[in-house]
Amino acid sequence: MRKNNIFIKWIVNIFFVFVALIALFPLISLIVSSFRPSSELMRNGISFSFVWSELSLRNYIHIFTESSSYWQWYGNSLIISTLTIVLSLFFSSMVGYALAVYKFKGRTIIFLSVLIIIMIPFEILLLPLYQLMINLNLINTYTGVMLPLIVAPVAVFFFRQYAMGLPLELMDAARIDGCTEYGIFFRIMSPLMLPSFAAMAILQGLNSWNNFLWPLLVIRSNDLFTLPIGLATLLTPYGNNYDTLIAGSVMTIIPIIILFIFFQRYFVEGLASGSVKG
Amino acid sequence: MSGLNIKNSEYVHETPNQNPPPSGRKKKNNSLLRLLNSKKVAPYIFVFPFILSFSILTLYPTIQAFIMSFQRILPGQVEFIGLQNYERIFNQTFYKALANSTMFMLLTVIILVTIPIILAILLDSNLVKSKTFFRSALFIPALTSIVVAGVIFRLVFSESDQAIANQIIGFFGFDPVRWQFTAWSGMFLMVGMAAWRWMGVNVLYFLAGLQSIPKELYESAEMDGANLFHKFRHVTLPFLQPIIIFVTTISIIGGFRVFEESYVIWQGNSPGNIGLTLVGLLYQEGIQQNDMGFGAAIGVVLLILIFFVSMIYLLVTGAFKRGDE
Amino acid sequence: MNKKSFKAFSPLLLSSILVLSACGGDDSSSTNSDDVQTAGSDIEDATELSFWTFAGTHATFYANAAERWNEENPDNPIQLTVENYPFDQMHNNLLMALQSGSGAPDLADIELAKFPNFLQGDVQLEPLNDLIEPELDSFMQERLDIYAKDGNYYGAPTHLGASVVYYNTEIMDEAGVDIDTIETWDDYVEAGQAVVEATGKPMTTIPGNWYGIWPFVAQKGSDFFDENGELTLDNEENIETLEFINDLVHEHEIAEMAPGGQYHAEEFYGFMNDGGQASIVIPMYYMKDFTTYMPDLKGKIQIRPMPTWSDSDYQSVTMGGTGTAVTSQSENVELAKEFLYFAKLSKEGNIQLWRELGFDPPRFDVWEDEAMREENVYYEYFHDDIFDILSEIKDNVAGIQLSEFTPDVLTEIDSNVMHNVLTEQSHTPEEALKESADTVRQKMESAN
Repeated sequence: MRKNNIFIKWIVNIFFVFVALIALFPLISLIVSSFRPSSELMRNGISFSFVWSELSLRNYIHIFTESSSYWQWYGNSLIISTLTIVLSLFFSSMVGYALAVYKFKGRTIIFLSVLIIIMIPFEILLLPLYQLMINLNLINTYTGVMLPLIVAPVAVFFFRQYAMGLPLELMDAARIDGCTEYGIFFRIMSPLMLPSFAAMAILQGLNSWNNFLWPLLVIRSNDLFTLPIGLATLLTPYGNNYDTLIAGSVMTIIPIIILFIFFQRYFVEGLASGSVKG
Repeated sequence: MSGLNIKNSEYVHETPNQNPPPSGRKKKNNSLLRLLNSKKVAPYIFVFPFILSFSILTLYPTIQAFIMSFQRILPGQVEFIGLQNYERIFNQTFYKALANSTMFMLLTVIILVTIPIILAILLDSNLVKSKTFFRSALFIPALTSIVVAGVIFRLVFSESDQAIANQIIGFFGFDPVRWQFTAWSGMFLMVGMAAWRWMGVNVLYFLAGLQSIPKELYESAEMDGANLFHKFRHVTLPFLQPIIIFVTTISIIGGFRVFEESYVIWQGNSPGNIGLTLVGLLYQEGIQQNDMGFGAAIGVVLLILIFFVSMIYLLVTGAFKRGDE
Repeated sequence: MNKKSFKAFSPLLLSSILVLSACGGDDSSSTNSDDVQTAGSDIEDATELSFWTFAGTHATFYANAAERWNEENPDNPIQLTVENYPFDQMHNNLLMALQSGSGAPDLADIELAKFPNFLQGDVQLEPLNDLIEPELDSFMQERLDIYAKDGNYYGAPTHLGASVVYYNTEIMDEAGVDIDTIETWDDYVEAGQAVVEATGKPMTTIPGNWYGIWPFVAQKGSDFFDENGELTLDNEENIETLEFINDLVHEHEIAEMAPGGQYHAEEFYGFMNDGGQASIVIPMYYMKDFTTYMPDLKGKIQIRPMPTWSDSDYQSVTMGGTGTAVTSQSENVELAKEFLYFAKLSKEGNIQLWRELGFDPPRFDVWEDEAMREENVYYEYFHDDIFDILSEIKDNVAGIQLSEFTPDVLTEIDSNVMHNVLTEQSHTPEEALKESADTVRQKMESAN
């Protein structure tokens, strides 16, 4: 019996090593490939058989020395993502919290709206939204880029789920102590929601960092470009620059992975506690 | 998953509607502040940003899109053309896109629900060592942007016989495949990319769901002589059901909305429309070919489709009823 | 769960890693990372002009032109900002900006296959007639017509885009074929059989997009639309043409499908560079691709006119190409037009198009110019008599007819016709063309 158990353990663990390999292999192969000549890569794909002597830091030297714009885009992306995370967590958590702890007229409608937004394909909103941005004079501004992301329906949904589990007795206690409703949220409840903030910080950061279509419509000048748009300009068939593409792609994943490793414990906990409620 | 319970009053903690709170420290002269702080008004202030952004950034553009779907929109010339856009929709190309999106949706729902459940159960058991590592390894692909994922898939599934995918199948004696040019392999690439990126996320959802199952239930089931399958069938599954409904719903919606996977592989026209999806058709007609009215009509049809399918699913699984229990 | 969140259609970054099949046009060398080019920023009181393009080398070209402008017009300097966007997005953005009435630049490059989209409704571009009409004789009329509507010219051409055959002489010699004996398409097939027999390599490859059919159709004197804008996609000549192409692949077996699906794919460059095929039919602008991506073929490539059809005299077809337009939203329309003339329409501008970008100038009158004969990388890579060959055939260059539904036809060809006939072999040429023609007709009817 015991022997049998150990045997199963081995099988399962080997199986998971295998699964992890499949999951990580594409990224590893991209990172390894980033040291290879890029056009060769585009022609023949990633290959098992590669020549060690082909490996070089050329692609990285290229983006670190020749692509001054690359780092400007990097900076822009960092600024936009950071602002988006802070603002969207602030507003979305307020909304989600209110939906969970208060009973008020229109609550169901609002919650239903949140769900419906998740269903609407963004593409059908593009032109009306774009016209709106022009009317509001927000073309070529960071505000224009961030505005549609600030109250994120998925985040609202998630915060609501999380806030459902908050101990409401605390609220009454706080009221007796003279806390305002807002004080209750900011001073007492939101610290309790920290794990959910961590989880959403990762998801919102991920979305903002990788966002492409919308900023592309809104941003006009090169010095405001975000990283994905900037990279895309290097990728046109009218002048391929795969050197920057492959190495640049690797460099775009790195901040996200750092963010994830940093928050990963909260992230998993937050996601766990948030989604089981109800 | 209460998130899908439209009538969710039972989840709202009772908050007495009278105000002000029983406290003697009110300032008499500041009735406005008091009003703002009342439990009646405060929730509206909290949700105000959402109402504002919803009306300006979603409701208004959606209504605009509905109006546009009845128009022919050319620069400087906008005219109402009744149902003409809708009459044009239902042709070969649309059915192809519908078939592709539906197939993608079905495959991703099947793959991204069953496999993550199994992985999550194994990860939750005490059979696996270094759980954190495996959990993270599964999750990291989700951190990869679709663009980078596209680069990777293009390189791995290049048509060259020296590319990894063709090397592997060559090892088993198959001829190299032109992955991006045939119908089955095109669908395989799209589903594969989605599965790779979202597997870890769904595993986390199910892991979270498993935490809520009281361990005693398993113990008592064991005492009753239940085998592994029985435990899964009668303890695990019922407890996981809300999460399964949640993940499935999100996957249905996401499946119908598929676009990026196709876009990063083919950048527009795929050979034989093997990668054409409904949103891809919307993008192609509405944005690339500047037929905004027609594009909007496709969007409206898509919206109705998504709404109906997910509602039917939720009704069948009883997600609404659960909310009223 | 964030998968399909509100703005989840985020990263379409890859948008252009592959060439869109419809974006055959000018090509350019490896870009530097500068996506923005400015000229004249140091001059006080310079009028600001903005320019959108999708090709890094074009950006450099216009920036250089602006420098020259400022030298020659010190009293009317300009400050030109050229923004380089991804291909698809630049056109989408421009459409949206023009549609919504604000946000468009002063000048923009618009690619051939996208141009009809900009000629719908009230055209939001400025007519260039006053610049072009005085010198109409110097241009090939058909090339200008591509960018015209109702007698107004809206686009300044970038090149003539004369389609030619590039032969890999190494392979042709190995097969013992003298390329100058190939005069008709029948000769071409015969030569192809000799090549396949001797070397095992295909005579050519067929791209899965409209480059695999349009040049041949137009050379036959046919087109997808007639001069009245009626759809002729499924006419007899076009079916015959597609049957011919189908035969190249499946009957004579001298052609294969192009690796990467088209001629601008990295996979194809690698294949061609390694001597993968004996010849390629494509416009002159492809010279830039050769010099940039296929260095190993230097000195091995010979340019010749297209073989002829028995029922037509055309030896070439004008294909691909970008039209530069002045938008109606410009606050300095006149200045923008003058600059555009200076940069691309004038003789001097045309010579620069050849010198800097390797394009066959759209103005015939510069072909004989001394300045054109100066040594450059293209003469070095190919041969000295490029323009002698072109001059000989210049009266036999076919034009193409565009309609506002051309983009729809090209989409049908790219996604259905070529695939179903050549790759899947599920449709005969006739079936495929008829089916696609019906789809387009349906759209045309409902639009009228």
